[in-house]
Order: sequence, then structure tokens, then C-alpha cells
Amino acid sequence: MAEDQAQEQNASEPFILFELAGTTYGVPSRAVQQVELVEHITPVPNAPPAVEGVIFSRGQVIPAINLRVRFGFERALHDLRTRLVVVNAGSRVIGLIVDSAREFILIPPGAIQPPNETLAGLKGKYLEGIATLGERMILILSLEEVIDPAGVMATAPEGA
Amino acid sequence: MAAQMGREDVGSALTAERAREEANQVARTAAEIARAVEQIAEGSERQARSLDGTLNSSNQMTASLRETGMQAESVAASAEQLVSAVNQMAASVEQIAANTLALGSSVGQTAAAIKQALASIQSVASTSEEMATSAEQVTTSMNEMAASIKSVSGDTTSLAAAVDQSAASVEELTRSIQGTASNADDLSVAAEQTASSVNEMGASIEEVAAMAENLASSVEELSTSIEEMARSIQGVAQSSKRITEAASGAASSAEEMDRSIRSVASLAKQADETTTRVARDAEDGGAIVQKSIQGLSRVRDSMAQSATVMREMGKRATEINSIVDTINLIAERTNLLSLNASIEAARAGEAGRGFSVVAEEIRNLADRSARATADIAAIINALQEVTQEAVASSNDGLRVADDSSRLAEEGAIGLKKILTGVRETTQIVSQIARAAGEQLNAGQNVVSAITTTVNQSKEVTAATAEQARAVDTIVQAASHMRKTAQQVSQAMNEQGRAARELIKAAQSTTSIAAQVRRASSEQASAAGQIAQAVESMRRGATSTSRALAEQTAVSDQVSSEAGRLAVSIANINRAMKEQAEASAQITNAAESMRSQTDQIAKAMAEQTRAIRDMSDGARNVGKQINLITRANQAHSADSAAILNGLSDVRQITERNAQGARETLRGTESLLSRGQALSSIIDGLSSNGRPGKKARNKKKAKR
Repeated sequence: MAEDQAQEQNASEPFILFELAGTTYGVPSRAVQQVELVEHITPVPNAPPAVEGVIFSRGQVIPAINLRVRFGFERALHDLRTRLVVVNAGSRVIGLIVDSAREFILIPPGAIQPPNETLAGLKGKYLEGIATLGERMILILSLEEVIDPAGVMATAPEGA
Repeated sequence: MAAQMGREDVGSALTAERAREEANQVARTAAEIARAVEQIAEGSERQARSLDGTLNSSNQMTASLRETGMQAESVAASAEQLVSAVNQMAASVEQIAANTLALGSSVGQTAAAIKQALASIQSVASTSEEMATSAEQVTTSMNEMAASIKSVSGDTTSLAAAVDQSAASVEELTRSIQGTASNADDLSVAAEQTASSVNEMGASIEEVAAMAENLASSVEELSTSIEEMARSIQGVAQSSKRITEAASGAASSAEEMDRSIRSVASLAKQADETTTRVARDAEDGGAIVQKSIQGLSRVRDSMAQSATVMREMGKRATEINSIVDTINLIAERTNLLSLNASIEAARAGEAGRGFSVVAEEIRNLADRSARATADIAAIINALQEVTQEAVASSNDGLRVADDSSRLAEEGAIGLKKILTGVRETTQIVSQIARAAGEQLNAGQNVVSAITTTVNQSKEVTAATAEQARAVDTIVQAASHMRKTAQQVSQAMNEQGRAARELIKAAQSTTSIAAQVRRASSEQASAAGQIAQAVESMRRGATSTSRALAEQTAVSDQVSSEAGRLAVSIANINRAMKEQAEASAQITNAAESMRSQTDQIAKAMAEQTRAIRDMSDGARNVGKQINLITRANQAHSADSAAILNGLSDVRQITERNAQGARETLRGTESLLSRGQALSSIIDGLSSNGRPGKKARNKKKAKR
């Protein structure tokens, strides 16, 4: 039993969960460098709407992307729970501004299902899959697609 | 010549016959007049009696009027004026009564005097009759003498020698004729006198007739005014009836007023109690309002205090909030740290597994504390909201408390005003209660006064009914008087007719007397012719002288009869004197009657004045009695008019009586003149007889 459990644990991958517009998203913990409070964002001139600016963290200048704007949701004011999730995707480091990020869970691979074809066909392949844990439904993001510079640049301003 | 003389003799005899007839007619007419005068005297007496009755009725009515006046006076309660006026009137009426008594006795005296006059007149009549018998006896004696003279005449033819004696006889005859002539003159004068006295009598009768007509008209006026007075008294009766009804209505109204005054008094008492209670309640309310004002200020203070406390609490809650935020921040940071630790532990692989568990537990604690702080924040937020609401409520309460205390002060001011108003009301109500008490007394006085008025009005009505009865009696007496006046007028008319006939007879007597005088003058002229015939008469002178003795004896008888006549005439004269005395007494009685009538008139004037005073007094009585007062004045005026009319009637009656007495006197003188006339005529006829004899003799010769 313990072996099975351990095996299962070995097979399971840790994810960082965050909230955005009432929906729970998950990104793999190995892609996450750190999670920070959103404290000071320096605005960048002529930046795309989804890019709020840059922050200075652990000796690095990191661009901060408002994921609400990136996903076409309404912009929201920052508060105590607003988080900057700093991710490594490929060779790039990018900060994602989300409503909150408070959980670290293990999701077995069997709980993740590939996304529906109709959903996947729309606006690039943002979703890797959809995980169901009991009653909760978690959308697993494909970080490469989310932080793809062309996608970020192409992201129209709100209403566009 | 002898034939001429005979014709004249025949004419003289015829004239004497006519004169006698006329004298008789005069005597008859005089007797008629005497009857008429007696009728007038009776009428006058009846009139006097009915006047007495009328006077009594008038006095009754006056007394009844006085009663009415007294009633009206007591009704009017202007007692002083009216009582003095009524006293005056009573004294005046007593004077009238005394005067009326004196008048009655005087009228009795008058009646006695009139009776005496009647007796005297009757004795005059009997004396006249006696005188007539004496005259008849004289006539018989004269007849005897004539027979004796006839025998003398028969012897005259054969006694021519007695011429001287005859001449003496002729002279005697001549003297006799002259005497006849003078008698004829006397007769003429007497006839003229008779005519003039008859004319006077006629005038007097005309006057009396006019007076009787005046009397009738004044009696008519009197009746009219009495009927007016009767109507007026009936009006007074109706008025007093109406007054009684009105007074009864006033009595019921006064009782109603009394009741309403009583209810007003009880209401005023109730109002007094109510206002007293209201004043007490208002004072209690004032005290309560003061207490509530104090309580409200305490409420205000405590509200302000609690508002301060709540603000303080809100401040504390804000502090708690900031602390909660800090805790929250710490919890978030803790969560963030544990999350990053988990990421690092996962990166460390199998080596970071234990650390990962610790990080997991830390993260759970942080989440729990975050949840607790969120709960606390929610609670604090709710608390702050409640505190805000409480502060707002406290402010509202403060405002309300301020408003309430202001309103309460206004209420206290209003209550003070109410208290002063209630005190004024209490005073007014006590005044009303006092006034109602006074009104109650006054109302009872009014009720008693009105009751008295009702009683007195009833008495007035009764007195008026008595007055109406008295007036009915007066009306009956007036109608009786009217009838009597009409009878007197009729008698006067008859008397006037008789007087006119008498005047006619007197005129014819005068003409006859003139004829007699003419005949006498003719006789006187014939006396000379007779002297020429003495020659033939002388032959019977001797027998004449013989007869003279008889004639002398007869003459003695004649003279004795003449003496008796003289005695009778003396009796007549005495009776006439008595009659004159009685007339004087009657005149005196009439004088006293007149003076008493004047006194009555004066007393009546006083009475009228007194009644006028009474009317003045009664005028003050008031509007209700005005009708009676007016009617009383009218009655007074009517009574005065009636009494004046009565005094007029009495005067007229007296004048009638006087006229009747004058008529009686005229009739008496007429009678005596008729007697004298008939005696003269008898003398004439006896003197004319020798002429007649001669004439017969001449006839035989022829």
C-alpha cells in the first residue's frame, strides 16, 4: 500500500493553483520560480495592454502581464490577495498578475483530461487540460502559449 | 128815526150775541190750553223722574268708571298719583251725591209749590165758578128788575105826567149808554190786552215748542253719545279680556323664564365646578409638563453621551480594522512564504518532502488566521455600520429631544395661558351665578307682579261688565227720555195749534169789540133822539116812579150780589196773591235748583279734571293699559257730555215748567178777562132791553 501510495505520489505532479475571474487555474510547480506580492510595477511606454510594466525581483527585471487582460476579462484593482506568479517558460521569465494564488497541490496524471476540440481551436492552445479534483475543476494552462510574445503582442486591448 | 134806532138795537144785540159766543170760545180755548199745560206739567214731571233715573244711572256708571279707574291705577302701580286723583274724584262725587240729594229735596219743594199753585188755581177756578153763579144771580135779579121795569113800561103809556121822572130815566139811560160806551171802550181795551197777552202766550208757546225741539235734539245727542259710550265700554271689555289673555300669556312666559333662569343658575353652578376642575387639571398638567421637560433634558444629555460613546466605539472599531488588516497582511505573507517554501521543497525533491509538509501546515494556519481575520473584519464592518446607525439615531434622538423640549415649553406656556383663561372663566362664571341668583329673585318678583296683574285684569273685566250693565240701564232710560221728549213735543204742537186758534178767537173778539164800540157811539148819537122821545115817555113817568121803588129794591139785591161779587173777587185776588207767592216760591226753588245744577256742573268739571288726572296717572301704567286708559278718557268725556246734556235737559225742563207757569198765568188772566167780558156783555144786554121794549112797542104801533 505504502508503495502504491508512494508510486502514485511519484507519479503525481505538484501544481500551483491561482484564481482568475472566479475560475481556478493550475500551472506546474516546476515552471514556477516564485510567487510574490504585487508591490511596485514600473510602467513601460508603448507596451501592449496586457503588459502592465516591469518589476525588479531577485536581481532580475521581469515583465508583468495582467492575465485578466491577456485572457479578455475585465481589469481589476490590485489588493492584498493579488499575486505575481513568476514562471519560467523556455528561456524566458515572466510575471503573471492573478487575483490570488494560495495553493500547492499534487494532481495525479489520470485526473487531467485533454481539453475539448472546440475549446482548443480558439485563440491558440492556452489549455493543456482540465483536471477534476472531487467537485473542483481546474484548468491547466499551457504556459508556452500564454507567454508567447507574439500572442502577448497580438493581444488586443480591451474591447478590441 | 125810530126805525133807525131799532135797527141799531137789533145790530147791537146781534153783536152782543156774537161777542158772547166769542167769549165762550175764548173760555173753551183757555180750558183746552189749561189741559195742554197740565199735560206739559205731567210731561215735565215724568221727564224730571226719568232725569232722576238717568242721573242715578249716570252716578252708577260714574262709580263703575271710578272702580275701573281704581283697578287700572292699581294695575299700573302708580298708586300715589292715582289714589290722590281718585280721592279727589270721590270727594267730588260725594259732593255730587249731596248736591243731588239737595236737588231732590228742592225738586220736592218745587213739586209741593206746584201742587200749592194747582190748589190755588183750583180755588181760583171755584171762586170763578162762584163768581159765575153770582153773575147768574145778578142776571136773574136783572131779569126781575127787567120784569119790574116792563110793568113800569106798561104803565108809561098811561102815565104822561111822569115825564119828568121819565126824563130822569132818559138821563139815566143816557148815562147808562155813556157807561156802556165807556164799557165798550174798556171791552175793546180788554180785548186788545187779551189779544196781546194771547200773542205773548203764543210766542211763549212757540218758544216752549222750540225748546222742546231743542230738548228732543239734545236727548237724541245724549242717546247717541250714550250708545257710543256703550260701544266704547264693550270695546273696553274686549280690550280688558285681551289684556287678561295677554297677562295670562305673560304669566306663562314669566314661569317659563323662571324655569330657564333656574336652569341657567344650575348650568352656571355646573360650569363653575367644571372650570374649577379644569383649573386643577391644568395645574396638574403644568406640573407634568415641567417634569417631562426636565426628563427630556435628561434624555437629551444621555443621548448626547451615548452618541459620544458610540463615536468612540466607531473609532475603536476602525483601530481594530487596521489591526485586522495588519493581521491579514501577516497571514497573506505567511501564506506566500509557505507557498514559496513548498515550491522550493518540491524543487528539492525527496529531500524537501518534510519541509513541504511543514510548509503545508504553516499555509493551513495562515489560511485559518486569514479566514478568522476576514470574519473579524466582517464583524467589525457590521459593527461600524451599526455604530453609524446608532450615531445617526442618537442625533435624530437629540433633535427629537430638542424639538420635544421646545414643544413641551410651548405646551407649558399654553397651559399657563389656559390657567389664566380658566381663572377669568371662573370669575365670569361666578358673576354669572350671582347674576342668575339676582335674576331668579327678579323673575319671581315678575311672576308675582304678573299674577297680580292677571287678578286685577280679571277684576277690571268684571267692573267693565258691571259698567256695561249700567250703560244698558242708561240706554233704556235714554230711550224712555226720548219717548217723553217726543210726547212733550207733540203736546207743545197741540198747544201751539190751540194757541193759534186762541189768537184767531182773540182777533175776532177784538173786531167784535170794535163793532160794539161803533154801535155804542151810534147809540150815543141816538141818545139825543131818545131825549126827543122823552115827551112820550113822560106819560109813563108816574108808574116808572112807582116801579122805581121795586127797582130800588132789586137794585139793593143787585148791590148785595155785587157785594158778594166783590167778596168773590177779593177771594180771587187773595188766591191770586197766594198763587203769586207760590210762583215766587217756585221761582226760588227753581233758582236754588239752578244754583245746585251749577254746583253739580262745577263738581262735574272737578270730577272731569280729577278723571283727567286719573287718566294722566293711568297713562303712566304702561302700554298694556293704554287701551283702557283711552277708553276711560272717552268714557269720562262721554260722561261729562251726558251730564252736561242732563243739566241742559234739566234747564230746558225748568224753562218748560216756567213756560207752563206763564201759560197758566196767561190762561188765568184770559179766564178772568173772559168773565169780565161776559159780565160786560150781560150789562150791555140788560141796558139794551128798554130799547128792545120800545122797538116792540113801535112794532105794535105799526
